Amino acid sequence: MPEVTDYITPNAPTWCPGCGNHRIWEAMKRALSQLDMETHDWSHVWGVGCHGNGADFLRAQGFHSLHGRSLPVATGIALANPDLKVIVEAGDGDGYGLGMGHFVHTARRNIDLAYIVHNNQIYGLTTGQASPTSEHLMPSVSTPTGVLEQPVNPVGLALSEGATFVARGFAGDVDHLTDLFVQAISHKGFALVDVFQPCVTWNKVNTFKWFRDRVYKLEETDHDPSDRDAAFDLSLSTFHDLVCTPDECKVPVGVFYREEGVPTYNDGVPAAHEPLWKQAVQPRDVSALIEDLK
Amino acid sequence: MSARTSDDDFEVRIKIGGPAGFGIKAAGQTLARLFMRAGYRTFDLTEYPSLIKGGHNNYHLRVSSTEIFSHVEPVDVLVALDESTVGLHLNELTDDAAIIYDPKDFDIAEVAGIPTQVCAIPVPMTQIVADQGGPKIMRNTAANAAVLGYLGFPLETLADSLREQFAHKAPEIAEQNIAIATAAYEYGTKATCPHAPLTPLPDTEPQILVDGNEAIGLGALAAGLGMYCAYPMTPASSILHFMAKHGDANGVVVKHTEDELAAMNMVVGGSFAGARAMCGTSGGGFALMTEAYGLAGVAETPCVVAMISRPGPATGLPTWTEQSDLRMVLHAAQGEFPRVVLAPGDRQDSFDLAWQAFNIADQLQTPVIILGDAYLSDHRQSIAPFDPSVVTIDRGETITEGEVTDYQRFKITDSGVAPRAIPGVVGADMIANSYDHDEHGWSSEGAEMRIAQNDRRARKQELARELVPAPQRFGPDDADISIVLYGSTKMPVREAMKWLASQGVSVNMLQIVTLLPFPDEAVASFIGNAKKSVCIEGNMTGQLQGLIREKSLIDVDHALHRYDGRPISPEQVTAFIKELL
Repeated sequence: MPEVTDYITPNAPTWCPGCGNHRIWEAMKRALSQLDMETHDWSHVWGVGCHGNGADFLRAQGFHSLHGRSLPVATGIALANPDLKVIVEAGDGDGYGLGMGHFVHTARRNIDLAYIVHNNQIYGLTTGQASPTSEHLMPSVSTPTGVLEQPVNPVGLALSEGATFVARGFAGDVDHLTDLFVQAISHKGFALVDVFQPCVTWNKVNTFKWFRDRVYKLEETDHDPSDRDAAFDLSLSTFHDLVCTPDECKVPVGVFYREEGVPTYNDGVPAAHEPLWKQAVQPRDVSALIEDLK
Repeated sequence: MSARTSDDDFEVRIKIGGPAGFGIKAAGQTLARLFMRAGYRTFDLTEYPSLIKGGHNNYHLRVSSTEIFSHVEPVDVLVALDESTVGLHLNELTDDAAIIYDPKDFDIAEVAGIPTQVCAIPVPMTQIVADQGGPKIMRNTAANAAVLGYLGFPLETLADSLREQFAHKAPEIAEQNIAIATAAYEYGTKATCPHAPLTPLPDTEPQILVDGNEAIGLGALAAGLGMYCAYPMTPASSILHFMAKHGDANGVVVKHTEDELAAMNMVVGGSFAGARAMCGTSGGGFALMTEAYGLAGVAETPCVVAMISRPGPATGLPTWTEQSDLRMVLHAAQGEFPRVVLAPGDRQDSFDLAWQAFNIADQLQTPVIILGDAYLSDHRQSIAPFDPSVVTIDRGETITEGEVTDYQRFKITDSGVAPRAIPGVVGADMIANSYDHDEHGWSSEGAEMRIAQNDRRARKQELARELVPAPQRFGPDDADISIVLYGSTKMPVREAMKWLASQGVSVNMLQIVTLLPFPDEAVASFIGNAKKSVCIEGNMTGQLQGLIREKSLIDVDHALHRYDGRPISPEQVTAFIKELL
């Protein structure tokens, strides 16, 4: 079984000291180790943002793609080689802003991949603009008088579009997050793990302390992850006012919803049942198709 | 009597016009297939507005006993399925043209401007269809049969075709159509101005009826295509339909994505994982794909983009043709990276360049564009069948299985190409990276590495010169006029060259097949040796002419542009050349 240290590279992480990215990286390495995954067993795709810099720190056979476009690149890999597990990491600006369209379409296709979103509710790498998940009325350099939009509800969106595994984690609890990653990677179908990841440099509202005071684990409640309606109700409970006290708002983490046995997109595409490189070993015989044109 | 180019050779030009939504193109292509199977050469051109019902559609079919290269403007037989068709195409009618129409639709004597010598052939198509209890769309069968009757072409050919078409789903519909055809055929034969019989030609070679998009699709399939992703956009959509129809049976993953951004990024992902991957679109869609196209360049994921042009900017003229996206595709995406742009000039080129594009892409590990346009892609021509035995697969330095050691995906090499192991190969730890990167693929902003990687990629651009198709020359070495062009303009110019040669005017032509890397020396030499040089292209601003000035440091003497959405015609080329003499 590969050790956690087998997944590191010579490159030291460049994230800010205390950034939640470090812990997501740690949880990912632990999950990969627990799942006994060698680098040729899976392909790892990143978008662009602070999370994406992790492409330099995780040993993988991976693709550091464009801002917002990690999911279609990952879908291409998943459809081109069913033997590879596909893990995607994205950010909230990256995945829920520019990449929002791909998110809902990938979910409804039930592409077999694990989608880990580093959700720090701010743009980190571009120095602190509001993101699609920034809280209502939060001031930022791009919204000095406060964000006028309601924040995106990723868990609710994934549920409404038919995602078959929907979870939320907190970067402040690496053990719990590791377990969520193991479940998501093991799940056959589209698996979302939205990870609250406090940005210690730009987001002065949703800090580690803010979350620690509010998160609770779904597995410690009577929530039934096969109950989609209940999961949807829970997703709405994450919305709150910027100034809510720990008593006024709570943030659930854990598995909201899980449905096993749903056919993946690959299942419905006969050509996607074996690696596509095998199609390009010899020229394909098209003589019958040419004959049809006579 | 139709045009005769010599005592033995002759041709007839048929145009079917009417409102959209009545299957005019499909009906016309049925006729084309009958004539093709009888040994004639055919070339069709469909004009249709961007709507589904109403408006005016027309299908023009050129039928010739000898080799032809393009459409032409005149009409010998006009099938007017409504009154407006007559007025819209009056000025295209030849002196002894015939008009087939339904007297229930309009009184031809009332149509303004009808030449007195026109042969009016009334065919009660609606009544014939009603007598057989058929739906209105079967008027197409009646119209086709009346055309065949007028031309003295055997009715059995149409009957056989109808049986073939409906054999599997509904034999009774075939018989219903045949009854309609038989009745309408009689009206055609009773024309007061009979046409010389157009009988099947003896001893002809088999042909195929194919459009440019089908040719690209066949070439890509032959090349071992594994993944095709696209968002519908005229005039590229028919590649998506072709792939969707044949994908399952041929092991191709075909994905209609949520948008063009997804299509191109998915292709990049599929290619990274080892598939031969392709997308197809038109200018607007390619604009959306542009960032990911650059990603393919820097991540060195080979792929093929079929960029089928239509008039822009923005939505433009969606169903018409133009060559105004040349500069866009040459310069698409930020930054500098190796790329290849190939432009087929006809259907054979489309097949050849499609399969070759995949080899070039794999050998260079970079994206290759096939630049077509609606004129080439949307219309069918009868040609000699493609020879699939010429297709080869060369994946360059691609490692698809096994194990690698001390692997560096972006190793600095002399050729510029670094061995490309795909994920799943043991030891192939790497990052394909949209950031510029070091030899492992890890992001690097170091000045020396930036230069080393940029220079390595630039060496691939130089290597491309050894791999891409050379320009094609047509006509005599020594000519009065020398024409340089690219893409579908080849077709009307070759036709015009044939006509001009028969009138003693010698013209030669250089077709630039590879626009990037540009064959600067070959073009400079061709223009430099010309008595009079002309650049002909389907755009307003002379994009190719400007490229020639930039790359070959030489200018042509004259230029012919067309930018009204219609293809350049051989008549237009001929008239232009004659003025230069």
